Amino acid sequence: MSGKITKLSNGVEGLFIKNLRFNTTLVSFNLYLPLASDTAAEYALLPFILTTCSKKYPDFSALNYKLARLYGAQLEASAEKLNDCQLLRMSISVINDRFTLENESLVKQASDLLVKLLFEPNTENGAFFTEDLAREKRKAIEHIRSEVSEKRTYAKNRLISEMYQGKAYGVPKCGTEDDVLTITGESLYDAWQRLLRSAFVRVQVVGAAVPYGLFEDIAEKFSAIERNDITDVKKCDFTAPADEPRTVTEYMDIAQGKLVMGFSSELAGDDDNSLPLMIMTDVFGGGPYSRLFSNVREKMSLCYYCSATSVRQKGLLTVDSGVESENAEKAQKEILNQLETVKNGDFTDFEYESSLKSIADSLNTYNDSQMSLDLWYALKISNNTLYSPEDIALKISAVTKEDVKKAACGIKLHTVYKLLPKEAAK
Amino acid sequence: MNKQAFESDIGESYIKAVLPSGLKIFILEKPQYSSAYAIFGTKYGSIDTAFTVNGESVNVPEGIAHFLEHKLFESEDGDAFTRYAETGGYANAFTSFDRTCYLFSCSNRFYDNLAILLDFVQSPYFTEQTVKKEQGIIGQEIRMYDDSASWRVMFNMLLAMYKEHPVRIDIAGTVESIAEIDYNLLYKCYNTFYNPSNMFICIAGNVDADKALKQIEAAIRPSDNIELERGIVDEPDSVSCNYTEQALAVAQPMFCFGYKERVENPERTFKEKICTSLLLEVIAGDASPLYERLVKEGLINDEFDTEYFTGHGYAAVIFDGESSDPKRVAEEIKAEVERLKTEGIDKKLFSAIRCGMYGDAVRRFNNVEGIAMQLVDCAMFDCGLFDEMKYLKTVTLDDVYKRLLLLDGEKSVLSVINPKK
Repeated sequence: MSGKITKLSNGVEGLFIKNLRFNTTLVSFNLYLPLASDTAAEYALLPFILTTCSKKYPDFSALNYKLARLYGAQLEASAEKLNDCQLLRMSISVINDRFTLENESLVKQASDLLVKLLFEPNTENGAFFTEDLAREKRKAIEHIRSEVSEKRTYAKNRLISEMYQGKAYGVPKCGTEDDVLTITGESLYDAWQRLLRSAFVRVQVVGAAVPYGLFEDIAEKFSAIERNDITDVKKCDFTAPADEPRTVTEYMDIAQGKLVMGFSSELAGDDDNSLPLMIMTDVFGGGPYSRLFSNVREKMSLCYYCSATSVRQKGLLTVDSGVESENAEKAQKEILNQLETVKNGDFTDFEYESSLKSIADSLNTYNDSQMSLDLWYALKISNNTLYSPEDIALKISAVTKEDVKKAACGIKLHTVYKLLPKEAAK
Repeated sequence: MNKQAFESDIGESYIKAVLPSGLKIFILEKPQYSSAYAIFGTKYGSIDTAFTVNGESVNVPEGIAHFLEHKLFESEDGDAFTRYAETGGYANAFTSFDRTCYLFSCSNRFYDNLAILLDFVQSPYFTEQTVKKEQGIIGQEIRMYDDSASWRVMFNMLLAMYKEHPVRIDIAGTVESIAEIDYNLLYKCYNTFYNPSNMFICIAGNVDADKALKQIEAAIRPSDNIELERGIVDEPDSVSCNYTEQALAVAQPMFCFGYKERVENPERTFKEKICTSLLLEVIAGDASPLYERLVKEGLINDEFDTEYFTGHGYAAVIFDGESSDPKRVAEEIKAEVERLKTEGIDKKLFSAIRCGMYGDAVRRFNNVEGIAMQLVDCAMFDCGLFDEMKYLKTVTLDDVYKRLLLLDGEKSVLSVINPKK
């Protein structure tokens, strides 16, 4: 069930993913901008401020009341890191008209609301209002600070910032606390204008039909703007191997340590050539049949979780685990040892086949989730062909054991990040 | 086999069957979907630490239900994960306060996956050696949660709220309590709670209900009749203390504020649950005046949430989130509850919230996992999958107001996690 792209304006496209199985329709606006330290914080604030108030609904309670009246329409905002881009998302999901108690035209109303939120924010004289700005800045700062509360995410993010110092991919997706503090009503208004001028835009609809007039409306609105310097979404630096792997150790007042390892991969990019990296990652540290789960966790009991993930576009592989500090060295050694076994091709047919089956099975469930489908396509932006999850499920069946071994041979340790309990420092 | 079919006016339907052994089966077909989701579960969770079976009173260590869940994946010749790896299905399990569920999701080979599920859940294999190994792994899981502020803030509240009820204890138990577990105790619990009369199978998605039913019927092994009585805890209405705090490596304070409800019957009815969910939206939902005030005054952020937390013998209305001043948030909530008691609930707001909840109920039928989980509730609490939608059309403001009157500030607890200095 692949989608169909319609060009709406310069650097603006509409994608309709037809799927009749849902009771709801989902519309998402995906805005892609280069990820850079001087703009990350203000861009990241935009989807949030734009979805909490607007010209028509200056007060967020009034907006939330409206959403409840739209049968609990779900309005969501997020700022994500996608390769070397920042992806700002605003979406609304609403039940289809036929489920309303009085035959109301909900889908059209919800989609119109989303358009208005993007194009008609609550501003005056070229600035956002102080009260709205202060509220969103506070929430953004609290969000950035709260990252440290969940140690697993915190440790992974620390690894990425160490691995990509001074590079776009190393910039935190919502910027830093200091960057948030410098945002003013005027600077945010400018950022909003730049967003409309230069973001690459993908409007996606997942459901039975495109809401009436949505694509035309978007085309008209963006065509009225002088669009220039549009984000090149294909631009992405691959991860260069480190001359010497580096280890960074930090201490915190915690009970259990975290060990996170970052690797560069020779296979990189969003095309078919890098698909073996996907399988290799899974054989190495994916499902319960993987080398890491069955050896580091099950056989050696070194950690409760130990798994690998990769970002194909960047040529990045990471392993993360929760370990007791006295086991950290041993776990690291065993993780590298397991990587060697994959490099040597010493993994079984069972592990390889389990991995192919498990990934294909999971890709084939995407069509049953509106949100997963929406996100799948929003993240598939740098590829020349728009592949559906089933397309990829078919393609991976061609990846051989030898391909997996080769993919592993291109993996090199780049950086190790350890977060250990304070007592371990003594 | 006793079999019934249920239909809704939004075009969904499901069947409920009860086998002679007492096993309940719920299946909702979604032929247009690619995948299916199946759960084989038992009404057995962390709170079941004392029970009477066939006249014998038994006390078991805390965390044993969760321990048993981990161990059930193993058999003499390998583990269930290895078998699922053959089919490509995704498998998992979880233990909560009142249930243990084994599940899989797949887009291919559904009946092969179902066969694995039916087999391993009915094939316990515990030895001294495998129990010992698991104590190490679970010990690490427990320690992982010791660092999780969102987990600690909730359990600290329950510890302060409940004096006797085992809901106050961590689901996984403690490193000390799981050390007391041995394979004999595991078999004792298994033979008690994994009796078909205490179990259910819930399936949603691309599946042929008749075929699945036949397969289940043939696979369920003969079992003895048992007489099981869950421990009734004499839990006082009052709380141990109104405030509890802990310091952890967090950047800003987190809180969990709850009202302990007086529990007259062990279980809440589905109407009581829906009315309380509506009430939570009225008090502090994102269209409520309190929510607006708390956000405007910089006291809460998007992490703020509410929950009606209830199970066998316990019920609490909970508000949680992050705040620079948790004590003020708790005071504001208490003041709003008292204001609503005196001034009543705003009709317009109530009607909008009811409309929103109706939409949520329709939306939930999008997702096979969500449907299967709801069917588990139907199996455990003997209610229907479409009851909520039906009831939302008729529920009144007065029904909700009655739930409001149960909230008593004297029986509230504020739990706070402060940043470690």
